Amino acid sequence: SPREFVEEAAQDFARQHPDVVLYVSPHSGPGPAPVLRAEYLNGTVRDELIASKTSEEIVQLATKLANQSGLDIIRIRKPFHTDNPSVQGQWHPLTNKPSILTVQGPRLQSQ
Amino acid sequence: RAAGPLLARAGRRAGLGTAPSTALSTALSTASPPGKKRWLRAYLELQRLQAPPQRRSEKPNWDYHAEVQAFSHRLQESFALDLLKTAFVNPCYIESEEARRRQLGLDKDAIALQLQDNTELAEQGLRFARAYLAQCFEGAYPELPAKGIEALVNFLTSQELVSSVAQNLSVQDLALCRDFPAPPDVLQRTFLAVIGALLESSGPERTGIFVRDFFIPQLIGKDLFEIWEVVNPMGLLVEELTKRNISAPEPRITRQLGVSTVLPVYFVGLYCDRKILAEGPGETLLAAEEEAARVALRKLYGYTENRRPWDYSKPKQGLAAEKAISSN
Repeated sequence: SPREFVEEAAQDFARQHPDVVLYVSPHSGPGPAPVLRAEYLNGTVRDELIASKTSEEIVQLATKLANQSGLDIIRIRKPFHTDNPSVQGQWHPLTNKPSILTVQGPRLQSQ
Repeated sequence: RAAGPLLARAGRRAGLGTAPSTALSTALSTASPPGKKRWLRAYLELQRLQAPPQRRSEKPNWDYHAEVQAFSHRLQESFALDLLKTAFVNPCYIESEEARRRQLGLDKDAIALQLQDNTELAEQGLRFARAYLAQCFEGAYPELPAKGIEALVNFLTSQELVSSVAQNLSVQDLALCRDFPAPPDVLQRTFLAVIGALLESSGPERTGIFVRDFFIPQLIGKDLFEIWEVVNPMGLLVEELTKRNISAPEPRITRQLGVSTVLPVYFVGLYCDRKILAEGPGETLLAAEEEAARVALRKLYGYTENRRPWDYSKPKQGLAAEKAISSN
């Protein structure tokens, strides 16, 4: 339960994650239920209910939240991305067509 | 930040007495039971949505010292904490605080704040960042002229970019300033002051790595001429070619499509000594020639889209030594 988490595991969690500031306070959530509130650098705020979770589960949850960035959790459309989609230049309808300037005909052969 | 266990609030709903069984009992028993009203939740939600935005430091659960320490741990840099706290203090904050204290009518001693500005640290940080970035670009793109390097460095230290980097590092929560939300020039000054504080605490090498890691990735996906505005690319190209003793380029139409339509496409190629230099497309012949000149310039300066990506592997030791010498 959250009481056990605060008594046993909160200090260790705070020591292991020095870049996360852990505040423990009663009465400060939006409702009466005990809530773990994660505020990220880009402004997202995530609330998780911890009322009926054991101390270890709360530690796991807190570690998961601490390791996340604050990006929205939405479906990733494709698991790949590249900033350089083309190395030799993207194909366009004129890529492999000869230019107007290439001269063809019998004159070349005689040279 | 975690909200801990809460004392259980027993719901209080005073039950109604027995319903009126006889017509003789009067109207009092039709009152609704005391407790929360139906409209209360919607009203509180409306109040919450319409409340003006507040600084994070004015909301509950805020410890400035702990937050500053966490900031330094997050960046994996060891700062001197007093320097870092000075870096977050802006002059507009000091003025507004002194004005507020004067309004409250305190003595002269109490009015004067014992805080230092971040202006000197910001200047130091700006100078170091500009010099370091200029050196990086001179090393990576040796053909790029001084104006191009200056344009790149100006872009990287511009207000929009630096303030967006600072916002994503939550500098806006820690910075002390008069207005909320903090304007971009304040955020820029605060972030440069943080760089200056890092320079004083950890030395030029680590600060160089920090600047490289946060500023150079902002160039990914950007084209040279988006950042550096060149009015006459053809003239610039002719200058560059004369410097390298190559004859002037001759433009020729290489391909054309849809000449008599509303959307023609012309490919103009630039030839030096009958050899192709660059080819560029455009809607009109002039636009195509200008684009071909830009492509040629990109090839000459080595800033094409298929160049080798930036080398983040090791810090350049020679740079650091030169930095230390030049800043002294």
